[in-house]
Amino acid sequence: MNKKISALLLAGVMILSLAACGSQGSASSSVDPSGETVGLTEAFAEAPILVTSGGQSADYQMVGTLMGKIGMDYKISNLATSADLGDAKTLIVVVGGSSKGLGAAGIDADGELARLEELIDGAKTAGLSVIAMHTGGEARRGDLSDKFIAPIFEKADYAIVVSAGDEDGLMSGICSGAGIPMDSIDSISKVATVLPAAFK
Amino acid sequence: MKKVLALILAMAMALSLAACGPNPAVSTPAEDEVWSSTDENGNLKLTKRDDVGENGMVTTANVYATMAGLEVLEQGGNAVDAAIAISYALGVCEPNASGLGGGGFFNIHMADGREVVIDYREVAPMAQDAYTWLDETGAVKDNGNANHIGGLAVGVPGTVAGLEYALANYGSGKLTREQIMQPAIDMAREGYKAGGTLVGAMNDYYDYMVTNYKVLGDYYLKDGMPYEVGDVITNNDLADTLELIAKGGKDAFYKGEVAQAIVDTVASYGGVLSMEDLASYEPAIREPVKGTYRGYEIVSCPPASSGGTHIVEVLNILENYDMKALGVNTAESIHLWSEALKACFADRGAFMADTAFTDVPLAGLTSKDYAKTIYEKITDQAQTWEKGAPWDYQGDSTTAYSVADKDGNIVSVTQTIECFWGCKIAIPGYGFIMNDQLHDFSTDPTSVNKLEGGKKPLSSMSPTIVLDAEGNAFMSLGSPGGLRIWPAVAQVISNVIDHGMNMQDAIDCVRIYDRGDASGICYEPAGENAPTAETLAALEAQGHTLTEKGAWDLFFGGCQGILFAEDGIQGGADPRRDGKAIGF
Repeated sequence: MNKKISALLLAGVMILSLAACGSQGSASSSVDPSGETVGLTEAFAEAPILVTSGGQSADYQMVGTLMGKIGMDYKISNLATSADLGDAKTLIVVVGGSSKGLGAAGIDADGELARLEELIDGAKTAGLSVIAMHTGGEARRGDLSDKFIAPIFEKADYAIVVSAGDEDGLMSGICSGAGIPMDSIDSISKVATVLPAAFK
Repeated sequence: MKKVLALILAMAMALSLAACGPNPAVSTPAEDEVWSSTDENGNLKLTKRDDVGENGMVTTANVYATMAGLEVLEQGGNAVDAAIAISYALGVCEPNASGLGGGGFFNIHMADGREVVIDYREVAPMAQDAYTWLDETGAVKDNGNANHIGGLAVGVPGTVAGLEYALANYGSGKLTREQIMQPAIDMAREGYKAGGTLVGAMNDYYDYMVTNYKVLGDYYLKDGMPYEVGDVITNNDLADTLELIAKGGKDAFYKGEVAQAIVDTVASYGGVLSMEDLASYEPAIREPVKGTYRGYEIVSCPPASSGGTHIVEVLNILENYDMKALGVNTAESIHLWSEALKACFADRGAFMADTAFTDVPLAGLTSKDYAKTIYEKITDQAQTWEKGAPWDYQGDSTTAYSVADKDGNIVSVTQTIECFWGCKIAIPGYGFIMNDQLHDFSTDPTSVNKLEGGKKPLSSMSPTIVLDAEGNAFMSLGSPGGLRIWPAVAQVISNVIDHGMNMQDAIDCVRIYDRGDASGICYEPAGENAPTAETLAALEAQGHTLTEKGAWDLFFGGCQGILFAEDGIQGGADPRRDGKAIGF
């Protein structure tokens, strides 16, 4: 019983602290005191949208393709920095590490992490909403991909995760612990179903 | 109550999905019961890859290619006929790994005693040289990618010429080229279900397919997205091209409209492949490289592949130890494999290249006396190895599959387009993908393996046949996996001969890899006979660097093998990829 009360208090504090951040697009969710993730309950994000990679796998391009199919307008840049945010009001970071992609982009994992931290911090400072995605399933887990998960998901306002990539609960744990709404989907194609609901 | 709600919800979801209507790019396969390499959770199956046959065996990297080979055997073709059918079929259902735009090595052991290796490895276009890829600073152009992506990575493809040579000289004569190619043509037209490895390759290389290499995406994306496991893929353009070859033979590919399309397309991506390069391509007909291991004869692939030579070399080194007593993947045995592999890799870098351009000390490298000199240098500590002195011993003398028929003919083939999806160039209207085989040349203009016009890049492909002491067929095997190929093949041979494993167990067994670089010993942390924590600690204490790869990781290759055992002809296929063995 004490644990439940503590969890409720903690959740309440976290909601208040998130609200205090002043992000213009913080997502709304009711935090489940049981510690389970809660899906998005109402739209919070706004266009224009900037999509970037979190680890240089091709998953960010697949998300872009899906957004294009349903008519969502977006800009995409795999190496975006805060200087590229422009008039964007929402930043989407699609997490997935790829040695091949890092090599092709001419950046190493530490450099990629530094880029993402600078970008997300810049986005938060500018009041953008941040959406974290992990759409590559089990294939995008492991040492390289995992390096990017916590730094990005912990700063997100909303998360979308293909469930096969979260069997160990890493991402749902981060989201439930921080009161970040998270929707689990069974394949990347379902991004087209859940993502529009996040936008006003 | 919850169950009832869940049922209603599930029914509603099913109805809503049905209401979406069929996706025109995805059809229901006629043979829905075809074995799948992937389970209901999307993971590669770790079991039921093997089979036992009485009259023959086919084991390949894809069940559809295995069935193509069986179909030809059942029509009365021999192992060579079946192998040709498989090569064309793999180009359809495993297009990321091999096909018309690639090359390979075809190792044949005929029941009448004839042995040959058909080397249909690609050669460099005559207009390219060692400086082709380099900028004024000596760096590889295009952010280091020019030697493996785009037109300057393309070698003259050898697959069609090699298979034509095999058919004309070693085929049964009972089946026509059209009959042998028909399973591949039918598959390209009617479709095959995507397996997990292929889907993974689509996901990994999606960025190329939607940017600079959209023709590749036109063939291998579904509505702009990667296929999912179980989706049916067709390629009518490829079926048409295969029909042209079936009717017109080699010339239908190396001359005329197909050749012109290759030249024009490669040129549009900056390449310099010419009609003359294509028209003059001929496979090299070679004697296999040979050695022995504990009384068994190893018959494998000579240069332009380094693989067979180094399989013999590493096994010659390890023959000096009682590997059976040392056990499977113990600290002692892994240490010896690591040291022996590093010594072989040092020799590979120093000596191995296309023998048409460079003298290679083949006899020395495969000499047991030379191996003894390496054995004598191995201590109980990890070492850095430099090239040996094989010249002093000269006087002594990327999909892989195997087929065995009822008459005792055996074929082991490894073929490739080099990296997954080759150089990423697909030929529009013809449906096949060009290799990036020039990637296997060194970019160092002073290297023995530097690029020269007409030269074959050094390979590691190792289609291997093992005979028993009486000269009878004992085993046939090969693997994809780049530099990891010959270490993988050598370890599987040892697993059978030293440790008495059956074919599937020998393939399943956890493998290691060490080429003497900063990664040290690469290993699989879980799986069959995985090294224990104590073993890993002992290796570190010996001075080894350890790099953990994934369990059942395709980094370690994808071995297919056949073993002639007392219970019949055993076929094994590697769970690290989509392989499947079927006997009959």
